[in-house]
Amino acid sequence: MRNDLAFALADQAPGNDNATLEVTGAMPFADVFRLAMGAEELAIRFEKFGDGRGFSLAVMLRERGYKGVLKAVGDLLPDQAGLLRRAGFDRIASDVKPASPRWKRPHFSHAYQPSPNGDEPAWRARTAAARQAKVDELNRRYADASPDEIIAVATREFTGRIATLSSFGTEAAVGLSFLARVAPETPVLFLDTGMHFAQTLDYRNQLVEKLGLQNVITLEPDARELAGADPAGKLFESDTAACCDVRKVRPLARAMVAFDALITGRKRYHGGERSDLQPFEFDGERVKVNPLAALSPKEVTAIFRTLDLPQHPMAAQGYPSIGCWPCTAPAEGDGTRDGRWAGQDRTECGIFDPSLVERAARTRSYRLI
Amino acid sequence: MYQYDAIDETLVRERTDQFREQVGARLSGELTEDQFKPLRLQNGVYLQLHAYMLRVAIPYGVLNATQMRKLAHVARIYDKGYGHFTTRQNIQYNWPRLVDVPDILDELAEVEMHAIQTSGNCIRNTTTDPFAGAAADEVADPRPWCELIRQWSTFHPEFSFLPRKFKIAVTGSPADRAAIGVHDIGLQLVRNDAGEEGFAVYAGGGQGRTPMIAPKVSDFVAQRDLLSYLSAILRVYNLAGRRDNLYKARIKILVHEIGVEEFTRSVNEEFAHLQGGALTLPQEEIDRVASFFTAPPADERPATSHPSSAFSRWRLWNVKPHKVPGRAIVIISLKPYGGTAGDASADQMDVVADLAEKYSQGEIRVTKEQNLVLPHVAQADLAALYEVLSAHGLATANAGLASDIVCCPGLDYCNLANARSIPISQEISKAIEASGLEEAAGELTIKLSGCINACGHHHVANIGLLGVDKKGVEFYQLTLGGIADGAAAVGKIVGKGLSASEAVTAVITVIKTYLSHRTGDETFVQTLDRVGLEPFKDEIYA
Repeated sequence: MRNDLAFALADQAPGNDNATLEVTGAMPFADVFRLAMGAEELAIRFEKFGDGRGFSLAVMLRERGYKGVLKAVGDLLPDQAGLLRRAGFDRIASDVKPASPRWKRPHFSHAYQPSPNGDEPAWRARTAAARQAKVDELNRRYADASPDEIIAVATREFTGRIATLSSFGTEAAVGLSFLARVAPETPVLFLDTGMHFAQTLDYRNQLVEKLGLQNVITLEPDARELAGADPAGKLFESDTAACCDVRKVRPLARAMVAFDALITGRKRYHGGERSDLQPFEFDGERVKVNPLAALSPKEVTAIFRTLDLPQHPMAAQGYPSIGCWPCTAPAEGDGTRDGRWAGQDRTECGIFDPSLVERAARTRSYRLI
Repeated sequence: MYQYDAIDETLVRERTDQFREQVGARLSGELTEDQFKPLRLQNGVYLQLHAYMLRVAIPYGVLNATQMRKLAHVARIYDKGYGHFTTRQNIQYNWPRLVDVPDILDELAEVEMHAIQTSGNCIRNTTTDPFAGAAADEVADPRPWCELIRQWSTFHPEFSFLPRKFKIAVTGSPADRAAIGVHDIGLQLVRNDAGEEGFAVYAGGGQGRTPMIAPKVSDFVAQRDLLSYLSAILRVYNLAGRRDNLYKARIKILVHEIGVEEFTRSVNEEFAHLQGGALTLPQEEIDRVASFFTAPPADERPATSHPSSAFSRWRLWNVKPHKVPGRAIVIISLKPYGGTAGDASADQMDVVADLAEKYSQGEIRVTKEQNLVLPHVAQADLAALYEVLSAHGLATANAGLASDIVCCPGLDYCNLANARSIPISQEISKAIEASGLEEAAGELTIKLSGCINACGHHHVANIGLLGVDKKGVEFYQLTLGGIADGAAAVGKIVGKGLSASEAVTAVITVIKTYLSHRTGDETFVQTLDRVGLEPFKDEIYA
């Protein structure tokens, strides 16, 4: 059992320690919200322990971003401590006397609902286990399968909840050509950061037409978030990670709410964290499908030739990997990502960075499993 | 049927331990009765006229043989040798001692059962079609959704202290059989134009002193969004539902007072906030839960016959079509003539458990009509099954007929009741048998409530009786034309209250009047709609 002794004991003695703001369950939520925003501490009074409005007020405040201290005051029973904690309260000041030793009681070990205190519904652990087991099974069965077969299996396993992501970069045509052949209805997500080379946008249009892609979805940064994070469009000069976050990680996270699996174009020869890439991966949230993982640079070249695929116009100019213009430079060698964020200690924009996925999950900026 | 994983099991155990402490605190005096009341209620413990009553949850009315044997054991060891199946697909024990309740709950936990949220101002046991997963007319199986709702609603951090109790019903069949129109939320599984399964949502129905039929609030909610949508409804209700008057605290009053448009607008506003968020159900969890609810295999043996006419009658009324070839749904009537509706002895429960194991894939259902169901019987086994049922007083051939009476505990047990209901229902049952009209009348519902809280569902009975107290004398108000399932309707009051014996006579008079006016194969309500109340009134008050 989880023990929240500190929480349960937190002023269980009735106190009146200068909470600056106090509301009751009778107050309309809109008014509570207006009062709470910007406040450091808010007390919600329970006139009667059976009046559960304060629970909803607390949860709704937390869901809408209230970060201050939330205090439950009034006619509260020790038997409500666990629910109050889960509803997002930090402290309890009960009027009920005498104080019961049962305030110290640990609450239940599991929960069936997501809640503002971070409890996850039981289904999250179950689903994570199910996805990991599915990925393990698929890797056992399809470790050496062709890209076509991997795409076919993935789109069958995750029908209606799988998409692919394309940068329309130098190698994009290969993966998209397989997809167009095997599962052309699969959504193709394209992050339009507003910082792409004009050649990339032209190339995108050319490929869409040539391959007959029918479901390309363009994702753009949220205008308000962008105005806040990068009003001058110069964020890349001071903090490339923050720039990627607002232009790529967040828009993709919003779009990915609808998807449980993502087909990537990653290959082992990209190096770094990609050297051990399996066809199927589970990142703790979603399944990533890497149908091209085992391809070699030679095979990629051969596919371009066999299928008569157009090249990204900048490939011939010495750009092996192409992203946004401020963070892309020419580099030596085919298929490497050395030209991305040159001179910085990073090779990933964050979309595939586990620590960023973990952070987004923690801050609940998008749906968990 | 669903099986607990370690999470489910741990939660039930921890809850049982917690309640043991709460009972200890009450017995030691640490908790006052006022403070203990909501705690015991959320663990199914009522205080009735003569004793505590324990209501054990039978989630969506689905039981296995092992669980039924445990219910029999509890009846034998901790009660007076019987239990009472309720209109909400649960079971009640009328004579447990408070000090024993934690032990009973421990025993129940051994077989994945509990009494969590069977009372109190929280989300109660979700109810459904007792033929779920077996009915020939089903769009989709409602049971996985009931289980998902059970889990979501259990120990809810936001919705455990609502203005009043809250009941959700789910149907997978257009024929309903779950009375979704008279629930706080009614869910009907439907398919949209794109062929996706989802839910039509109704809200604000209910019985009690202000019966109302739930209006539709959404044509289609996607499966993954179900919990987000339910949360939006509950949130609007929790904040805006009336808390100033116990009798006006149900969601139906809120929907009625602010109007369905304004209510729906508020729900949609909150839903827009919740949709796509952390309540979105992962497909894997939907699939996991659904995987527990499998259909039985087809049975290729030829159907057997039985020489007796009693068997033929039982076969006609108590056996329903199954979606799997060679199988049938069998209703075990808990309505012997002159008996107490819904009561079963411990021995009978054991018999049903054995029969379920032998003939019904180990499965049993409880119906809101207070009967039991063996959902998956092979047609080849019907005769053998009938023999055993018959030997134990469980083969009354009256499922859906007039003597299949629904009845609340009334003044014999309940501290809310104004009048007795069990003895009156027994008299009516005997009079129906004596009249010999039952089979001619065909399907006809009669329901009795001993007070306006309407636990006996009298509002939605073809023939309803409501017990009232007038200066210390019991009277019964007769209503006609109510319908529980599908196109739900509230019955109309016929005239002035009747004494107990007059009420019994009046029921027979109503049946006779129906038969004399019926044309073709009209149902009772069709005849009533055509001829109006007057002919019935004239005969009753002649």
